[in-house]
Amino acid sequence: MAGEALVQLFHVYKQYQGEAPALADVTIEVGRGEFVFLTGPSGAGKSTLLKLVFCAEPATGGQLLVFGRNVAKIPPSQVPYLRRAIGVVFQDFKLLPYRTVYENVAFPLEVRGLGPRDVGRKVNAMLRSVGLELKAGKFPLSLSGGEQQRVAVARALVGDPALLLADEPTGNLDPERTLEVMELIQAASARGTTVVVATHDRSLLERYKRRVIALEAGRVISDGDAFRRAVEA
Amino acid sequence: MARPLSFVRRALEAMARGPFMTAVAVGTIFVATLVTGLFAAVLTGGERLLAAWAGDVQISVYLKPGADLGAAARAAEALAGGRVVDAVTPAEALRRLRASLGPEAPVLEGVGPEVLPASVEVRAPGASLAEARALAGRLGTIPGAQEVDFGNAWLERVESLLRRLRWAGLALFGVLSLGTAVLVSNTLRLGVFARRDEIEIMKLVGATDAYVEIPFLIEGVLQGICGAGLAVLALLAAHALLVPRLAAAAGVVAPLGRAEVLPGNLVLALLGGGAALGLAASALAVGRFLRKA
Repeated sequence: MAGEALVQLFHVYKQYQGEAPALADVTIEVGRGEFVFLTGPSGAGKSTLLKLVFCAEPATGGQLLVFGRNVAKIPPSQVPYLRRAIGVVFQDFKLLPYRTVYENVAFPLEVRGLGPRDVGRKVNAMLRSVGLELKAGKFPLSLSGGEQQRVAVARALVGDPALLLADEPTGNLDPERTLEVMELIQAASARGTTVVVATHDRSLLERYKRRVIALEAGRVISDGDAFRRAVEA
Repeated sequence: MARPLSFVRRALEAMARGPFMTAVAVGTIFVATLVTGLFAAVLTGGERLLAAWAGDVQISVYLKPGADLGAAARAAEALAGGRVVDAVTPAEALRRLRASLGPEAPVLEGVGPEVLPASVEVRAPGASLAEARALAGRLGTIPGAQEVDFGNAWLERVESLLRRLRWAGLALFGVLSLGTAVLVSNTLRLGVFARRDEIEIMKLVGATDAYVEIPFLIEGVLQGICGAGLAVLALLAAHALLVPRLAAAAGVVAPLGRAEVLPGNLVLALLGGGAALGLAASALAVGRFLRKA
């Protein structure tokens, strides 16, 4: 554990009506500055867990604390402000197709009410850091999958979030583009951002020797590097 | 908080990106405002016409045979409050009748003035129908009065009809507003639904509900103003086309100028109503979506 806990789940349950529990009795902590892989087969509960952390859905049982705040007690009007401290990256990028690369990356800053000068400074710096400064005026659909995901990572990081959640960020990418995107996420971690990456790509677990939380049928079956060692063996 | 102009820019961008949805919303508000405006214009024009016609009120009090015309005229003057009172002798009545018959006047050959009653005529220009009605009632009490002819009595029926139409108009406006709000709201909901990915991403990056909602509300207001503006233009065009033709055909619509049928306050009310309708419909649409999101 690396310092104070940024995300804490205590016996968390999540069940959708008429279905088996998506998460059952999950108790984990993610410390500030940690880089954690969340792994498991499809349907294991990885995405659900991330959704609970960025308050897209409520837990049906247990307690979930993000930045020390019990999310069940955060009024809906305050949720957007919590989300501004969390960057999220999805497998399907979730970019706005009619906005340019620049505008997509600027979006979180506009939402916060930053002036055009501050937005320009931060967005240009971020585009440089992800190697897309020459594509600023392009539209997402004219970019490759890897480039689109780099835009998505840039959008997630441009607001300097304390926590980065990535849900299968390399799921749609070939191995070379996968490494590019993972390097960006690694770099964010190196700058102190807490990172949680949900993936079922075992090669990532082998390559990046990080803490691995393994889920199966909504339960934590392993936490630490035991799972990674098992994969490597 | 984002800058107000950026909300307007986002609303205009969204309208440009979804021209079909925008056209449907504008069209719906146009139809609702046009129907309401048409009804209001007909009512307003009808009231103006009624007022113009009723302004020429004349009441005739026919006297019993042998009644004292001078006494009756003096009594009428006392009751008429300074209005013009004419004492009409049977001879004068016959002369007027001959004059009105023109070339047919010879049919009165051999008819003497004794067949016509003496009468007292009271002119009440500018009197409302209610005032004319009250005055006619009072004049029925003058000495020797046999019958009071309230020449504009038919206007009472028109006035009563207009009164009923006014209530019907209010009811129609209420029903139309509600129906249109629901219709436009459903149309805008389709627009909101079409942009659900954008809304999801906005919320993902920390947009508040207000940040998401405000451009939709601006869009609703702009669509409302556009729809109502088109309806006002259509009403003005209809007035310009129809009134001269009606005037030529019936010769009764001369007082119906643009200001009589579509007064400025009605135009403003239609524009304001359209904007309010667009605002209410979009608030309903995006509010329902955000509550579910």
